[in-house]
Amino acid sequence: MVKEKLRDIWKKAKLLPSREDDLNKSPLNDWLIFMAVFIGMTLIALTFRSVVQNPDLNITMFYILGNFLVARYTSGYIFGFLYAILSVLLINFLFTYPYHAFNLTLDGYPVTFIAMLAICLVTSVLTTGLKEQARLLIRQEEELMEAQKEKMRANLLRAVSHDIRTPLTGIIGNSESYLEMEKQLSDEEKRNIIENIENDANWLLNMVENLLTVTRINNETAKVNKTLESVDDVVSSAIVRFKKRFPESTVKVTLPEGLVMVMMDPMLIEQVLINILQNAQVHAHSTRPLELAVEEREREVVFAVKDYGIGIEEERLGSIFDGDGTYSQESAADGNKGMGIGLSICKTIVMAHGGCIEAKNHGQGTTFVFSLPKETEEQ
Amino acid sequence: MTQKLTVLIIEDEHTICDFMAKTLNAHDYKTITAHTGREGLAYLTSSLPDLVLLDLGLPDMDGIEIIKETRQWSSIPIIVISARNQEKEKVGALDIGADDYITKPFGTYELMARIRTAIRHSNKILDDHVNNNRPYSAGGLVVDFEKRRVTVNDKEVHLTRVEYKIVSLLAKNSGKVITYDTIINEVWGPYADDNNRILRVNMANIRRKIEETPGEPKYIFTELGVGYRMLEDENLS
Repeated sequence: MVKEKLRDIWKKAKLLPSREDDLNKSPLNDWLIFMAVFIGMTLIALTFRSVVQNPDLNITMFYILGNFLVARYTSGYIFGFLYAILSVLLINFLFTYPYHAFNLTLDGYPVTFIAMLAICLVTSVLTTGLKEQARLLIRQEEELMEAQKEKMRANLLRAVSHDIRTPLTGIIGNSESYLEMEKQLSDEEKRNIIENIENDANWLLNMVENLLTVTRINNETAKVNKTLESVDDVVSSAIVRFKKRFPESTVKVTLPEGLVMVMMDPMLIEQVLINILQNAQVHAHSTRPLELAVEEREREVVFAVKDYGIGIEEERLGSIFDGDGTYSQESAADGNKGMGIGLSICKTIVMAHGGCIEAKNHGQGTTFVFSLPKETEEQ
Repeated sequence: MTQKLTVLIIEDEHTICDFMAKTLNAHDYKTITAHTGREGLAYLTSSLPDLVLLDLGLPDMDGIEIIKETRQWSSIPIIVISARNQEKEKVGALDIGADDYITKPFGTYELMARIRTAIRHSNKILDDHVNNNRPYSAGGLVVDFEKRRVTVNDKEVHLTRVEYKIVSLLAKNSGKVITYDTIINEVWGPYADDNNRILRVNMANIRRKIEETPGEPKYIFTELGVGYRMLEDENLS
């Protein structure tokens, strides 16, 4: 984040070439820059000479500055070189005695000119090299980000195919055994089979809904379409949907006294709340009702879901949102399917909102906390 | 024997169509099924059903077009079947005249409740004066339209004028989703600010006055991105 911001600032200050700049640049542009700088510097030097006595040294400074600019804003070495040679010749022609004539034999002057030529050439080489390096750095960073994205995509795909296959196997197996053994099965067994199918189907639905939410996040910018929404509405809607799936569960909801409005995609934040609540409901084995509390702070709104269950091992806390710890022995052993992609989708959504999410143990269970930044509609 | 109500189901997915037809038949409705938009429109004009269940994603035409065409000549209740995550589509359908929507996947209970509500509201147009002034009552909440009084478990709740307007609008349309825009139009008039912040503020206050736990509402439910829905009136369901 910080790096990106810095780069933005650099780009604005023109210290780093942005990619578009480089692409749009044509040789014509370079020529224009070259001419403009060269003529501009000559004009300045001429003006300077008419004002100040004995200005020779300063005039070379102007040209060196111009050389720097040309090397910086044109591509390749060629314009820098050209500028260096031309400016040395022009200084000789215009600003050293005899004026308006070339004279390379004056005492000491050849040394000055050679030194200036060297300075100009070195400047132009160094500046161009610097530019090249900056561009390389940016490309490397972009490649790194691309690789990370690719890794995330691969992880997600693996998790998804696993998560889809598991309930599908259950549905197909149960319905096949019903169709094949309908006559031998007792009513209770039949009911059991249908219930299993319903469970698996619900689980699958939950997954698909999660995946669908991800399509609401812009692929290019990783941003979401935010509107000003009331926290009340999102929380109440999430609770209603959660209860529809777990009718016997209870959640203690604490909302701020007054109305709190936050910029967000309400469907996505609802999904985050549902995922966290479901995760707690299914995995935590909470001994008391779950607690959902919303708190308004100066610059952010904080949502916290607290359970009184078995907690999460400390070493898993850090990676629980990355989908890495999903299929650990622990979750396989307690007979539940892994939370699958639910929590990593929570992280994706919250990050896309510019917020942060974390899980921590509070002694008697786990608290999942995420925050959304408060911003105004204009932003 | 009472006349059975006829429901036209326009849905291209055969399994869903079958499931809805079976459920409705079991609840004493007569059903007609159409798998394409054209077929649906033909049945609409030829057999004049009492209610239409309409899937928006049809193979031959946009479901929205069917609503538009139907609304030119009929106020027959239309319930749109839509997927979650498509709140813009839902609002669009409601704006051009659909009565309500149901989100896929839905259970039989939800389906029957929506149908009952829609049919009840369509009857209300006929005997408006009878129903309109009867108090709303559900789960301990009573809205007396004549006395302009709201009580929860027999305790009077003091609402501001605007808050009362919102509550009575939702109560008169109980069980049905009312879009944000409709509420704003009805309460603040057509020239109100488009920004629905003022509605959210009032809703937050209403919830804190009538709901026991505002985070877990009993009476007024949020349909995210669409609007609000009030618990169905007990006397009418």
